[in-house]
Amino acid sequence: MATVTFDGASRYYAGNDKPAVDQLDLEVEDGEFLVLVGPSGCGKSTTLRMLAGLEGVDEGAIRIGEREVTNLPPKDRDIAMVFQNYALYPHMTVADNIGFHLKIKKMPKAERAERIQEAAKLLDLEPYLERKPAKLSGGQRQRVAMGRAIVRRPQVFCMDEPLSNLDAKLRVQTRTQIASLQRRLGVTTIYVTHDQVEAMTMGDRVAVLKDGVLQQCDTPIGLFGKPKNLFVAGFIGSPAMNLIPAKVNGEGALIGGQTIPLTPAQRSALTGTNVVVGVRPEGWTLKSDGEGIPAMVEVVEELGSDQFLYCSTSAELASVDTEPADEAEAPHTVTVRAPGMSAFQRGEKVALVPQPGAVHLFDAESGDRLPD
Amino acid sequence: MAREKKRWGLTIVGTVVALVFLFPYLIMLVGAFKPRREILQVPPAYLPDNWEPGNFLTMWDTPETPLPFNLLSTVVISLGGTALALLAALPAAYYTARHRFRLRLPFLLLVLVTQMLQPTVLASGLFREFVELGINDTWLAMILVNAAFNLSFAVWIMHSFFASVPNEIEEAAWLDGCSKGQSLRRIMLPLVWPGIVTAVIFTFIACWNEFAASLILLPTDVNQPLTVALTRFIGQYESAWQYVFAVSIIGILPVVALFALIEKHLVSGLTAGGVK
Repeated sequence: MATVTFDGASRYYAGNDKPAVDQLDLEVEDGEFLVLVGPSGCGKSTTLRMLAGLEGVDEGAIRIGEREVTNLPPKDRDIAMVFQNYALYPHMTVADNIGFHLKIKKMPKAERAERIQEAAKLLDLEPYLERKPAKLSGGQRQRVAMGRAIVRRPQVFCMDEPLSNLDAKLRVQTRTQIASLQRRLGVTTIYVTHDQVEAMTMGDRVAVLKDGVLQQCDTPIGLFGKPKNLFVAGFIGSPAMNLIPAKVNGEGALIGGQTIPLTPAQRSALTGTNVVVGVRPEGWTLKSDGEGIPAMVEVVEELGSDQFLYCSTSAELASVDTEPADEAEAPHTVTVRAPGMSAFQRGEKVALVPQPGAVHLFDAESGDRLPD
Repeated sequence: MAREKKRWGLTIVGTVVALVFLFPYLIMLVGAFKPRREILQVPPAYLPDNWEPGNFLTMWDTPETPLPFNLLSTVVISLGGTALALLAALPAAYYTARHRFRLRLPFLLLVLVTQMLQPTVLASGLFREFVELGINDTWLAMILVNAAFNLSFAVWIMHSFFASVPNEIEEAAWLDGCSKGQSLRRIMLPLVWPGIVTAVIFTFIACWNEFAASLILLPTDVNQPLTVALTRFIGQYESAWQYVFAVSIIGILPVVALFALIEKHLVSGLTAGGVK
């Protein structure tokens, strides 16, 4: 068991001036489940591979516990990794796959068999121990890959999108299994995914990366409730937060006739006159009496438990002509969550009012969150 | 019913084609058991009147060529050439499959180009080179020549096998505690084994059958391989055809046996199941 520390770690790829991972500072607690999340190419897999020793570290350092591992070969780092494509040894049986590390470490045969049995039992792999990977289903292969990791009792687990090759139902099941297994074993785990639902449901903390730069590292609640910038705001949450550009006048930020008041602290932190107002789909109150931002329901997505309304807003709102800052898209549609089985129809006119306390304000220039 | 008919048709056509190809071998087999005068008799007979298995004994001791040495020569040159080719090709194949470096493609193409040159073309140059090196008319010279000329095939075939093993499998081995050498031995080699076997067998057969360069580079009869020795039985005034046939049989046996082996080993899809 150990902590993992990235200390200004950077990685440059040949022929590329921009680092794939840029000055990463990250501290992972002992026994913590940390999820690295971000869009493809954001450097999350590279970060994991740097920790595993499969990718060099050009600047900075990486430590496991008190031990500096920056330049250690993978075999000496005491890390077990689960790969996206599982990377099982095709010529070995399941038992040999799981026990390979122990065999390399010259553990006595009887003890090894016991450890393999233990891991197989934990993962329901006992009936398949003598099979080769080719004779297993996708889910079983995934479990063998997990078995190969847990049998080692390593200091750190690295998992690189281990669920992305499973079908949707199995993915949800396995997600819970991995999370509970990790908590039971208490092994420090770094888990890479591009799926923000996985990130939110599994991680003790979630680190959001973009273009090799750490955007925010926080608990799922923290990320969801207080995104540090526009990117995190737009990335975390499904459907995504509505990000609406707005101009600031003496009274506050104006969106579609609604005024969002700004605190003095927010005003002083503002660099220009433009802000981006963020409201999650569940942060709207729907009114029918005309009070609020006028909008028309374009699409109704019925999920049974919830209903998502995709509403086009009036010309007045769209005419708030701010260059959409960063990733935020121009507000042609606003997503609203309504209770499931509501009676909304396509083409229905509604009025939207942001709930107090559900409004996030960002500086349009820098994209940073304004203080609350 | 129609399918039954089709199958019979295929069997018949297949048998005819096989016979056409096998016929020279049959002539060779039968010829090896004929006494000398029966081979030359007109009209020729398909089967010998008097079977003469003694050809296989007397051929070892003839005035034309020291056959035991020739067989030894072929074996030593083939084994040496194959071993040397494998020793050089295996690391080259692994490295080119696993590492991206400048001039990687030009290197692979250059390797391929060497395959396009016949030993005959280079024989006179090689002759002078070996004279300079003082290894002219030795087995070592032919081992070097054979290894060099079969290197490209061995590199390319093993390259493609190495390249077909996903990187992650090797990385998994490193993380499981293997050094680079251990992962190569315990993980990579078993996975590319069919490629190695193929390369070894093809190289060995090519060395075994090599003729032109040996003819030029090995003037001494005790150093000559079977392929060259065979021509000694065909003289200006008379030819010992019964020995030509008998020696040919000895000469093709290992090749036939190895080709039969290849079939067994060329099982594709050995890596199936390792990754999704």
